[in-house]
Amino acid sequence: MKKEEIKLKLNVVGKNIIRVDGLSKVTGRAVYPQDIYMDNMLYGKTLRSDKPHANIKVDISEGEKVEGVVKILTAKDVPGHNYHGVLFKDHEVLCETRVRRIGDPIAFIVAETEEAAEEAMDKINVEYEELDGVFDPIEAMKKGAPKVHEDGNIVYHYKIRKGNVEDAFKECDVIAETEYKTHMVEHAFLQPEAGIAYVDDDGMIIVVASTQYPHFDQLEVAEAMGIPTEKVRIINPAVGGAFGGREDITLQIHLAMAAKATGRPVKCTYSREESFVAHCKRHPMVMKCKTGADKNGKLLAMEAEIVGDTGAYASWAINVLRKAGVHITGPYEIPNVKVDSYAVYTNNPFAGAMRGFGATQVPIAHEQQMDILAEKLDMDPMTIRMKNMFKLGSETATGQILEESVPLDRCIQEVEKVMNFTQGKKGGERE
Amino acid sequence: MKEINLTVNGKKHRIKIDENMRLIDLLREKLNLLGTKEGCGEGECGACSIIMDGEVVTSCLVMAFQAESADIITIEGLEKEDGTLHPIQQAFLDEGATQCGFCTPGMILSAKALLDKNPRPTRVEIKEGISGNLCRCTGYNKIVDAIEKAAILLEKGGN
Ligand code: FES
Ligand code: FES
Repeated sequence: MKKEEIKLKLNVVGKNIIRVDGLSKVTGRAVYPQDIYMDNMLYGKTLRSDKPHANIKVDISEGEKVEGVVKILTAKDVPGHNYHGVLFKDHEVLCETRVRRIGDPIAFIVAETEEAAEEAMDKINVEYEELDGVFDPIEAMKKGAPKVHEDGNIVYHYKIRKGNVEDAFKECDVIAETEYKTHMVEHAFLQPEAGIAYVDDDGMIIVVASTQYPHFDQLEVAEAMGIPTEKVRIINPAVGGAFGGREDITLQIHLAMAAKATGRPVKCTYSREESFVAHCKRHPMVMKCKTGADKNGKLLAMEAEIVGDTGAYASWAINVLRKAGVHITGPYEIPNVKVDSYAVYTNNPFAGAMRGFGATQVPIAHEQQMDILAEKLDMDPMTIRMKNMFKLGSETATGQILEESVPLDRCIQEVEKVMNFTQGKKGGERE
Repeated sequence: MKEINLTVNGKKHRIKIDENMRLIDLLREKLNLLGTKEGCGEGECGACSIIMDGEVVTSCLVMAFQAESADIITIEGLEKEDGTLHPIQQAFLDEGATQCGFCTPGMILSAKALLDKNPRPTRVEIKEGISGNLCRCTGYNKIVDAIEKAAILLEKGGN
């Protein structure tokens, strides 16, 4: 098909289209879960751990005496499996005997008013027997480190082996060897988690919550409730931003349990502070990189070790650390590559999906490696990139041949026009 | 309990309130004006912004009783009765300046307060005008574009 013919068929691509939900949003009529009020509804509040690693004993009796409290749910009230998690079922719906991070949910209080629920929360007695925790992922990998989960702290190890790095480093004229660290990042989507659940006349449990994964939530709610998935309906109203932070369960199961236990609609809205502790973070990573090039600036070898801190729960750690491993070579042809990428449990806040899924952290390492090499070669930073970048037909570290659009050269040239990287250096060499 | 008088979107109200009630709760729970959003409850995000006596305020930090005799505009007060959008709303829609939409009502009201005082602001002035409103989705550029466009629409006298 000729280019023009294809163009004629496109009704959306290349055009400015008004969002389907734009009108409801500019008028303030879009309905987020906190905007739903139902007759006879109750309010839910989550009691969370304030210790990062401890055995717990929970006594709710004083909380139950607070006027207006209808029900306090703890681990023993979970009707089905007391677990959830997108890859590993390593979260408990409500922690039974042990907490693994600050913010682990321990009890869900259901009351006539938010004030009553809060008062009861203060009255619940949690006895903590603190355990040694581990907060550095490198420490967590060592023998004898406190175990966050029974099977050990290393959740995942991803490897790339291409060519022979040892031999290749011997051929290199310059080598950059550096350790990089990135920090945890919070999504801070503007609408804090909120939801409302109720049981309809047919006994169907309905959970209305802003989520990125209604079908996953349905499965997880059904498993925890011990009922078939067709007895659970998830309704996803307007979502006030997510960026990966709404891929794990937060309040969905608590609400379903509360609605079932009380027979009334139950609503829960997190404060900003609770939102911060309730959902995942971007994985902090430690990246040890060794990159070598010949005197012309051609990359010959890269060796990298990446350790991602997934905190107390795995969430999407496997996908994130695999992606980090795949992308640590950057958009460059490197004939010899050795990568080891690990996801590790600690007692820190748990990490999961956040914009880029592991591909966001690694450029901090691979691009600084390029700059260091350029400096050692007295070459400008653009030239070294142009010499090594992926183009049509390039082979990546994982053996993929790039067969379609790879317009990185054009992109860098446009940037060069504005930034003048090569100024003062002719043909990549200093004048 | 306390009773206050106030005007919201041109309508006069006499309302019973609790002393510890915030203005955002009055708007959302007593008047059912749910377009005013709560993103932080601490005056940081601007999602709860409304116009009170011509000034933008974060309604999570104003007590309801402080609104005695006040003249308040919320997002619901911007459309005409026949449903015609206010030029700022139209510009936000046309420029793609709303994504998740949670910041949008507050953002539009901050824009209105700005344009009411300064009908042709520079881009820098627009950025200052919305500096109290966080948006986590758009990256702000389209919002600034929309407010620039709204200024032109308003100057032409309407939609
Ligand atoms: S909710 Fe009022 S400023 Fe954030
Ligand atoms: S559109 Fe989502 S926060 Fe602004």
